[in-house]
Amino acid sequence: MKIAPTIEGGLRIDPESDEDWHVLRAIMLDANGMDIDLASRLGDLITDERLAEDWEENIVPDLRESFTDDLNHIYAAIETAAAFPQDDETPIWITRDDAFTWYSALNQARLALEEKYKFGPEPDTDPANLTPLRHEALVRSHFYCALQSFIIQHSLGI
Amino acid sequence: MSDTSTLTETDTKVSNQTPWNVIVHDDPVNLMAYVTLILQKIFGYDENHATTLMLQVHKEGLSIVWSGELEKAEFYVQQLQMHQLKTTLEAAE
Repeated sequence: MKIAPTIEGGLRIDPESDEDWHVLRAIMLDANGMDIDLASRLGDLITDERLAEDWEENIVPDLRESFTDDLNHIYAAIETAAAFPQDDETPIWITRDDAFTWYSALNQARLALEEKYKFGPEPDTDPANLTPLRHEALVRSHFYCALQSFIIQHSLGI
Repeated sequence: MSDTSTLTETDTKVSNQTPWNVIVHDDPVNLMAYVTLILQKIFGYDENHATTLMLQVHKEGLSIVWSGELEKAEFYVQQLQMHQLKTTLEAAE
């Protein structure tokens, strides 16, 4: 997979193999991989009894809708690019306008992986100490993080 | 109108006037540059102040990033959670 900045301040992703498409599609799967979704996990942080009920009823649904919209946006971008014949050049474009959306989707995936696997800030990366499932999850998390860093560097700004 | 309802109304006003702290907590996922960027975007802080708060989150585990009236505090917490920062809202002591 190649990832390169564009002169408009965005990024282009050029998947080059089935594995590349697999890891891109895994963003959605990882982000949705927890029994308790991110909106609820964040909502649970509001513990003051004067606020918690209203937060759950009014704010959490908005958070959930926003996070789902972000995932749907990148799902559409990936599947639109994937629908072209493989011999065509079919990059996935991340414009400055949808950089936050991509960042959000990648972050949802990383937060879910962290919640599930508890990697911590400095995870043990030695494959010998990891189950195959955990190792694959860690590699995906690192890939998502690298893509987020590109997005911050090239596309996000005040 | 009974005395009881008058007292309840007074209590509510006092509660809303209590300063509230918007607190961002450390987590192993959100990138430091992103946290700084979001603090600038939401609060309008300059880069130096946002970086100071971000480093406090990173080193001390949390930072009170804003204090004030409840309605605004709720709005800020919602915005920070919308950007997936681990954020709580607590009445200032």
